[in-house]
Amino acid sequence: MILVEHEEGVARVTLDRAEKKNALTPAMLRELTAVAAGLDFKTRAVLLTGAGDAFCAGFDLTLCKDDPGAMAALLKGLSQAMRALRRAGAPVVVCAHGAAIAGGCALLGGADVVVTDRGAKMGYPVVRLGVSPAVTSAMLAQAIGPGATRHRLLDPKLFSGADALRSGLAHYCEDDAAGALARADEIARALAAKPPHAVRVTKRWLSELDGSLDDRVLNAALEASLALAGGDEERGRLAALWTKG
Amino acid sequence: MSSDSAGLALLETEGRVARLTLNRPEARNALSLGLLEALHLRVDEVARDTSVSVLVIGGAGKSFCAGMDLKSVLNEPGGAGRLLGSIAELTIKLRRLHAVVVGRVQGAAIGGGCGLACVCDLTTTHPEAKMGYPEVDLGVCPAVVAPWLAEKIGAGRARQVLLMGGTFDGTRAHELGLATHLFAKDRLEAETEALIERLASAAPGALRATRTWLASMGGADLEDAARRGAELSAEVVRGEEAQTELRARFGG
Repeated sequence: MILVEHEEGVARVTLDRAEKKNALTPAMLRELTAVAAGLDFKTRAVLLTGAGDAFCAGFDLTLCKDDPGAMAALLKGLSQAMRALRRAGAPVVVCAHGAAIAGGCALLGGADVVVTDRGAKMGYPVVRLGVSPAVTSAMLAQAIGPGATRHRLLDPKLFSGADALRSGLAHYCEDDAAGALARADEIARALAAKPPHAVRVTKRWLSELDGSLDDRVLNAALEASLALAGGDEERGRLAALWTKG
Repeated sequence: MSSDSAGLALLETEGRVARLTLNRPEARNALSLGLLEALHLRVDEVARDTSVSVLVIGGAGKSFCAGMDLKSVLNEPGGAGRLLGSIAELTIKLRRLHAVVVGRVQGAAIGGGCGLACVCDLTTTHPEAKMGYPEVDLGVCPAVVAPWLAEKIGAGRARQVLLMGGTFDGTRAHELGLATHLFAKDRLEAETEALIERLASAAPGALRATRTWLASMGGADLEDAARRGAELSAEVVRGEEAQTELRARFGG
């Protein structure tokens, strides 16, 4: 469910489950982590995108229906995927077109450059489901600052791509999804054409400075989410989803 | 200071305002070892003068500063290291100053020049100005400015700006928060003067206490990061990739 194509120094990685709006499973997150960790020096830029009209709708919650351990596996997988993207030697461009919600929005935490479109739906509406988005807090705070992070993780309201641009979560915002994809592609190619050693060292230095390589902080954020995973509150809220249909 | 360097940075102090001018217009005020040495001595002078409340930094001629003069040290062993060490120490010195530092960016502020603009408390510019950090395009790592820029505009935006390289205009610099004030080009000088007047109208003790407190919030970590950044950047400049890119650009 993860598609990888290599072209002129750009590794184009696609969440390829369009019929489910690229909803994430533990297997997809493991695969994404392995892809990011396994890139060689020939890869000079990574372009992460989603098949179809949305980047990613979040975790595939149907997995949690019969498996109380599924949420923990998803949270761990997400945390590992964000870290692997951040540790990749090449810069990561994420094209968050259409929608980047919950776990899908959290994936942006591993990006160096984020492109979206004006009408894209974004946000972390998971407290409503008894799930804590704490797992993404450290990376999000590095991207948009602690004040905006409190706003976005506590208020479950979705926001637009234009809002994401204003807060710094996205760096480019195009008129529509096609425009976002074209822009992200252009940026990935431009990055791939730059002197690779300078880009690699600069990315690593920025990550060292903002603490996004610090596993103690990232583990603590993950633990805060895991503490609730599979608990009664979450089970109750998710069960209500299924009865609603 | 050698007599050659003395005229490269001019300092005029009048009342509570000190004006420092990068004076190497024939080289668009590119930061050579001589100019950096002159800037250090001038900023030291300001540091000793506690009657100064505002330091304004500007560039003579059409541009604020074209960047580090890497060309001048390309064939000098250790030259790039000294240049980068010197700019790192200058940013730290400006940050530790008791006076509010205002950068007035006309024309261009590129690379190390944009680093100087970044470390100022307030930076004024105009929409057509050319600013940015094209270091990665030259195989160079903008490691000295990275901590200051991340502190000023946020780590996420700094990541995009520094990895993408290239340059942008004054309007974009203002959107990013790199420039704090944006004025029409023909109003830049007058509006910057009005800003300086406002700043100098403050009670000196309160202004100094506030400035010093704000500058200390990043703590010793930022200073340490700027110094380590200079070492990292020098190491990258010595490497094969940067040497090839720089020689292709500058010849030699």
